[in-house]
Amino acid sequence: MRMSSEPIERRVSYLGDRLRANRCLICGKEYFEIRDYCGNCGRKSFGKMVNTDLFYEKGKLELCTLVNEPTNKFTKLGSYIYGTASFHDCKIRVPGRLTDRTAMCNEDVDFSTLEGREVVPRFRRRYSVDKNDVIPTISLAFTFADEYYPHQEYQIIKPKKEYDSPGIVGYGVYTSRFRIREGNIERSVPFIDEDAITAAVEAGKLALIHSRVDNTSIGKIYVGSESNPYAVKPIASKVAQVLKLGEENEDVQGVDAIDMEFACKAATSMFKDAAALVDYPKSNIKHAMVIGTDNSQAAPRDCPGGELDLFVGYGAAAFIFGKQDVIAEIEGWYSCTSDTPDFWRRDGEPHPMHGGRFTGDPAYFKHVRTSAKKLMERLNLQVGDVDYFVAHQPNVQFPIRISKELGFKEEQYAPMLQVAKFGNTYSGASPIGLAAVLDIAKPDNRILIASYGSGAGSDAYSLITTNQILDKRQNQKMTIAYQAQNPFLEHVDYTTYRRLKQGM
Amino acid sequence: MPTRPTIVAVGRTKFGEHYEKEPETLIEEAWLKASMEANLERRDLEACYLSDYFLPITNKLGLEEGFLSELTELHVPMEVTRSFSSALSNACNAIQAGRYNTVLVGGIEKMTDRWDKIRDDLMLLEDPWSYYAGCTPEANHELMLRAYIKKHGITGQNQDTLNTALAQISVKNHLHGTKNEYAQYQRKITVEQVLNARKEAHRPLGLYDYAPISDGAAILILTSEEAAKKLATKPIYVLGLSSATDYLTYPAREDMTHFLVTQIAMKNALKMAAKKLSDIQLVELYDQSTVMEMISLEDMGFCKPGTAWQTIHENCLDYKGYYEIDGRKLFVNMSGGLKADGNPLGATGGAQIFEIVKQLRKEACDRQVNPDGELDCGCVLELEGFGTKGYVYILGRK
Repeated sequence: MRMSSEPIERRVSYLGDRLRANRCLICGKEYFEIRDYCGNCGRKSFGKMVNTDLFYEKGKLELCTLVNEPTNKFTKLGSYIYGTASFHDCKIRVPGRLTDRTAMCNEDVDFSTLEGREVVPRFRRRYSVDKNDVIPTISLAFTFADEYYPHQEYQIIKPKKEYDSPGIVGYGVYTSRFRIREGNIERSVPFIDEDAITAAVEAGKLALIHSRVDNTSIGKIYVGSESNPYAVKPIASKVAQVLKLGEENEDVQGVDAIDMEFACKAATSMFKDAAALVDYPKSNIKHAMVIGTDNSQAAPRDCPGGELDLFVGYGAAAFIFGKQDVIAEIEGWYSCTSDTPDFWRRDGEPHPMHGGRFTGDPAYFKHVRTSAKKLMERLNLQVGDVDYFVAHQPNVQFPIRISKELGFKEEQYAPMLQVAKFGNTYSGASPIGLAAVLDIAKPDNRILIASYGSGAGSDAYSLITTNQILDKRQNQKMTIAYQAQNPFLEHVDYTTYRRLKQGM
Repeated sequence: MPTRPTIVAVGRTKFGEHYEKEPETLIEEAWLKASMEANLERRDLEACYLSDYFLPITNKLGLEEGFLSELTELHVPMEVTRSFSSALSNACNAIQAGRYNTVLVGGIEKMTDRWDKIRDDLMLLEDPWSYYAGCTPEANHELMLRAYIKKHGITGQNQDTLNTALAQISVKNHLHGTKNEYAQYQRKITVEQVLNARKEAHRPLGLYDYAPISDGAAILILTSEEAAKKLATKPIYVLGLSSATDYLTYPAREDMTHFLVTQIAMKNALKMAAKKLSDIQLVELYDQSTVMEMISLEDMGFCKPGTAWQTIHENCLDYKGYYEIDGRKLFVNMSGGLKADGNPLGATGGAQIFEIVKQLRKEACDRQVNPDGELDCGCVLELEGFGTKGYVYILGRK
């Protein structure tokens, strides 16, 4: 039976992605599915049902069993724990599977040790479909709240301070729990039900949690990626719908959503657009979100383009721009572009090709050098005026070499070096470097970031942190350091890595 | 007093894998048996009520009514439902309303043609939200068992006993199946086999705890009391019938240790039949898994909640052919149940009714029951989905 009839898929995703629920104001009964009236209270409950959802909630795994012979569409998940999760003191109960767990089919699981533990919903692919079908997603996948992905409340607070110039008001980085370690480099590996879309949603969620801005105040979302599983269909629409960005009117979100592509600089390019938009008085947009997300693609090692397979990672970084409660103001920017074919992927091809030696000097170094230098010139900055330098990091050597060449000292560039922990997360790479710096920066620090996108171009920004960076830091448990050094990380071998990366 | 719907003839095929037979062949086979019993011709039928769960999917049929019309060369009213019990319920209503005097009720399923896709189909119809979340047809039964164990605080030695009791259900039903010429499995199994299958699967329930995937057909001829006099020497009356409905999403139901539909339908059917629970001498219940047989004994009222496993275990240690409950014999799943007889969804209820009719007519050969007192009254429980619908029929000789 084909299941990707679009209207059905739309309804299932609408409810299941966000875990939308409903509560009767008269009797308090809660329902997973959206309905206009309460079964207990009948007609008098019309207009007395309030929308709720479980998206940011913490539930409890009530019952579970092992599924080691899944139905056809779930076979790529191998074996997994399936059960029921209850929310709101058992007022609402949903089915769900535990995700992010490998190899269990031949284990005896003591279910009673799992039952009763707290779980958080995760936004994931639902099951496998044909290559031509709409990719189904769902948040009826759970992980334990005391493991890698902690439960965090999403509190919305009224802004305290208005700034003259726009800047970053919050950010979030999501990388998966799985890693592959080869030599000195560790890279994040998606679980099999993850892709660029799911990472974008998770990062956006974390950015909302960190910023505490109202999701309905976000007027535009830009998602930069080069591994969108669709050739035509935006990631941004999914993010907007799941995170309920903008005012919701019936089932349509009052937000502009757009996907961007420019290799690894698709996201950083839009920082200035987001900032300009929130600064433009007549736009009436308080916040704009920019996400860089990639399940970085690489051909298998023995194939053309396979050298990238040593460096690719998986992750996403989301930044919210606005003028209220800013944690880092934008001081200035400079972008440069040239038609340099150092890395490309033809339409319909699964893996990108790579210009080898060519990607260094005429590509990466030339563009990063140009944008960084030009911006410093424009702002009349010396190397010593910059507290932290962030560069795109396709491998370990390139960002160090360009930092040194520009004259930065190790203490200025070392904090941004994250590629050895997560791999090259393409559109998310320099944004993750920036997030790592924002995680540790003090107020009034100047951060210079220079991204790089093959094809080719670079965006340089100068940011100056504010006092509020310290206040907001406590809102986020999922910091870069937390994700890099986490006792729940699971390391996989090369075969497993290729399988997981291939996805469902 | 309105007329009582009366079963004058029953027929069925062997259940199992019939990959060489088309659905037409199967239903024809069942029809011939039933029509010979009542000495009826097709033209005598005033309406047909057919049930199937999957036929349009599994056999690429269009409207099943048209398929049946082509097969029978009949142009009478025909209705198609999901379960045999549902078809029978419609037929009973029509007979009682005086609309028809002689109707056919049939059930047909050909699940094995769908091969490995059947589990996805099944889940999608049974409980779509759970399916989206990764559920399998087996996982819901296992969750029910987990819920039961937790609710009743069954631990340690007691939990082992419960697990053994569930295995004994399967062993008992297989034993009954050896005496049923139509059963899918006509061989004995042992408690060790059941337990080992669970161990191999690393799950609470294993291969031998579940009813199989089956092909098959069943048919009965239903008439008014008056019409039955000409057609049958041993008419069987539908004394009570009732059904109930519950949420589609199993985890969304309040109590995951029971089927509310069984409880409601049983109560109402007994009331309609003006019978007490103790009047029921034999039962064909819906053992899609061993857990379901245990739960159903409680839901129907034969055992108190949380105790059926003890009753089963005690009775099966030295099994005499029936469960002894409160000093009375209760014959359960003499056909072999869904476990051994087979479970071709649309036809399953037909086989359950078939068994009770044969028993009440004392035509059940080796598996004929010998209850306390005169044989009089039997009961059928059929479920649709995972306890989404429940049908109870109380059949009697008088």
